[in-house]
Amino acid sequence: MTELEKKIKAKIPGPDTGIEVRRSLCAICSPGHHCGVDCYVKDGEIIRVEGTREHPYNRGKLCTKGSSLRNYVYRKDRIQTPLRRVGERGEGKFEPITWDEAYAIIAEKLNAVKEQYSPHSVAFFSGYCKWYRPVFHRFAHVFGSVNFGTDDSTCSASKVIADKVTAGCGAGPDMGHANTFLGWNYEGYYSAHLSVEGVRKLKERGGKVIIIDIRQTPAAKNLADLFLQINPGTDGALALGMAKVIIDNGWADMDYVNQYTYGFEEYKALVDQYPLDKVSAITGLTPEEIYEAAKLYATNGPACTNYSASALVHHINGFNAHRAIVCLSALTGNFDRAGGNVPNPPTYLHKPAGFKSRENEFRSDRYPGGQKRIGADRFPLWDAQFDEFQAMDLLRQMEEEDPYPIKAIFALGMNAKMFPQTQRLLDVMKEKLDFFVDTDLFMTMTAKYADIVLPACSSVERGEVKAYQGGYLTYTQPVIPPLYQSKSDVDILCELARVMDLDDEYLKGGYDACMEWIFDGCGVTLDELKKSELPVKVPVAKWPAQPGNCLKNGFKTSTGKFEFYSTAIAKIDPMYGLDPLPSYYDSLSDQNDPETAEQYPFYLCTGARLPHAIHSRTHETPWLRSLCPKPTCEVNTDDARRLGLSAGDVVELSSPYGAIQATVKTTHKTKPGVILMLHGYTEANVNELIGRNHLDPYSGYPGFKGMRCQIRKCQEVK
Amino acid sequence: MKHVFVFDPDRCCACSACMIGCMDQNDIDVDAGEACYRKTFDNEIELADGGVYCAYLSAACMHCTDAPCIDACPVGCLSKDPETGFTVYDNTNCIGCKSCAMACPFGAPRYRKSDGKMVKCDGCNERVKNGLQPACVRACSFGALTCVTEEEYQASGSNKACSALIDQLHLRKK
Repeated sequence: MTELEKKIKAKIPGPDTGIEVRRSLCAICSPGHHCGVDCYVKDGEIIRVEGTREHPYNRGKLCTKGSSLRNYVYRKDRIQTPLRRVGERGEGKFEPITWDEAYAIIAEKLNAVKEQYSPHSVAFFSGYCKWYRPVFHRFAHVFGSVNFGTDDSTCSASKVIADKVTAGCGAGPDMGHANTFLGWNYEGYYSAHLSVEGVRKLKERGGKVIIIDIRQTPAAKNLADLFLQINPGTDGALALGMAKVIIDNGWADMDYVNQYTYGFEEYKALVDQYPLDKVSAITGLTPEEIYEAAKLYATNGPACTNYSASALVHHINGFNAHRAIVCLSALTGNFDRAGGNVPNPPTYLHKPAGFKSRENEFRSDRYPGGQKRIGADRFPLWDAQFDEFQAMDLLRQMEEEDPYPIKAIFALGMNAKMFPQTQRLLDVMKEKLDFFVDTDLFMTMTAKYADIVLPACSSVERGEVKAYQGGYLTYTQPVIPPLYQSKSDVDILCELARVMDLDDEYLKGGYDACMEWIFDGCGVTLDELKKSELPVKVPVAKWPAQPGNCLKNGFKTSTGKFEFYSTAIAKIDPMYGLDPLPSYYDSLSDQNDPETAEQYPFYLCTGARLPHAIHSRTHETPWLRSLCPKPTCEVNTDDARRLGLSAGDVVELSSPYGAIQATVKTTHKTKPGVILMLHGYTEANVNELIGRNHLDPYSGYPGFKGMRCQIRKCQEVK
Repeated sequence: MKHVFVFDPDRCCACSACMIGCMDQNDIDVDAGEACYRKTFDNEIELADGGVYCAYLSAACMHCTDAPCIDACPVGCLSKDPETGFTVYDNTNCIGCKSCAMACPFGAPRYRKSDGKMVKCDGCNERVKNGLQPACVRACSFGALTCVTEEEYQASGSNKACSALIDQLHLRKK
């Protein structure tokens, strides 16, 4: 082998090897991340991916999933052309058609539903990723439908609403100035890899770390000074119990409470019902552990808290649990204070960047009105606080056609596995819909039910505008052209808008026309952004976010205060039974009757993060799948011994709603009685076990992380 | 300049990004049954006192100074790169006898079914010679896996630079 051949084999970039480094971003996971990537490109093909060192967000780092980006992009089952269904819905039989044919069919079918029923009978739905959402949202409204919904119906928005009705806004941990970090449900190693360094630095300067989790995690081992392994679904009780300890011992910041909060007396009366012995019994923690955690948090301030986007609110009591935890921050004077939790509103697509865009106006200034959104009657708090339909009521409305029928779904990346009792939803879609179009990179379980399937391209095959922490904005350029006949989601929407002649100059104008309007006034033009392969500092951006705005100018609540007692919830009709206080109830309260409790004695927690997976997005990516080839449930070692189970055994997990098979992994990391199972497997979709009405009444969120189940060994391995 | 891999078990979480980095660099075809040259371990070790130690580890070829695999190979495939100190190989003449794997205390060399030859981690020798980090190190977000020059390693004198195996003997608790 010559020296040059060796260099080519080793993928060394340079003019001699013909390997060029081009920059883009990884959009496999949540838009709260999206790390910059260096793609090594040779002869039009990506041959290697690394994190971009000069990128201001990830500074060269990539997680397990992002490291597999090349394998994700070049999956063999990428959809190659627009497809028309020729078999039964769900059968997966399609024939290729042209883009023009596809657009013509979609336009005709959507308009037919609009004419025969109403524009609201077309539901627009988005799964991952989220980069096109402002355009899609506007598309739905301009078409005339109030029904735009997304995976926010089960992800993060519950926390956003809980923050809003308590403090008027959310607030992130000010790790750089804190003395104590309350890592409630914090597992940065698995789900926020860039955050770990900040916690380490806090420790290095003598700060203390409390980790509260249901399992022993790398964060518990590597970072925790105090680790509380809590019974799942009892976090709300712990937060109330800690509040009582803090108040009783005189550790509350009463100056802050008196000056900046509302409803303290009612809150105090609530927490008084949670003495240590009671909280100990509920949470499975010792009174000493609870006392020590409360003391450290309240007396070694400033203290900041990790607010998990989904871990907590995936219990049917999760909305209140999150509020109860946020309340601790105000009780100890840490909300909107340096070293505590500091509000930092998002600039664009969930990313704070220290300046304002017109994203919300772009999404909503064409809102048609004239009808209730899906879920409005069932989840009034959601409907009042969030500008999307609550998709957890989609199944019921399709079945009952009440208050009106849903006859078409126009989806980008819809994932039915996100819905409890997935198959029931798909069956009803099959039966009830006149038309279903889905867009995706891969032929998913859901796409198989579509009448028309459109091929989307990945983040490295398109350009997109993205804001980043630090006051940055970028407009990536394609690293490679879209594979096969795939197109960017926004190009699909804008081309369809032209075919349908929708009444909107931005949609018909294309992505740049939309982005120019949204980012008008930020001091950087799209052309300037396009010329830079790295994010550009936005002139008007103010970074970092300074604490004290709420304290100085008032909280964005109706009282102008931090509300222990939420006036926004108090406004909801009492018939819904929503408590303005963050009261606690059992996370299995809808299935604690003796018969169900006896038949299904285990606590099933689905979707606790593992490093190689995010939802169902990477289960079919070969490199990542090879790290854990079989759908696996984690069973406590003592339980396994008692049940005669060994690692590698195939078991059936069941609930009153369904059953799946999984392979056993025994572990000491979870408590006895708890079973963990990763979600999103087509062949072992654990959300079949979650009842469709097992929902948090405040948010509509399913209790993914708290459901009764039974486990038994399968006699015959299929 | 000789290089050494350093592993810090207090920073590792067995997330396996190192493995994916290795797969990407070496075009590992997992569908054909191939495995990359590094492996992570998420092990629970039951302690005498009833407790459990959670070990998060990442291991590949240790690039031993006096590598037994070199002498074990009957056809002379393996050698030391004088520049980097990595244990490198050219398996053109490999007969797939697995002697290198048998001699290796860590079982690092692996048999590749598709061509009947042995393969192993070469420390991303060519990348390092060109001023880049080994792919696994480049993929580690937590500083658990690093690759430093021998001088840097000697100068660091850090306890944290102990190998995973030594750490297991200590069985340190939190």
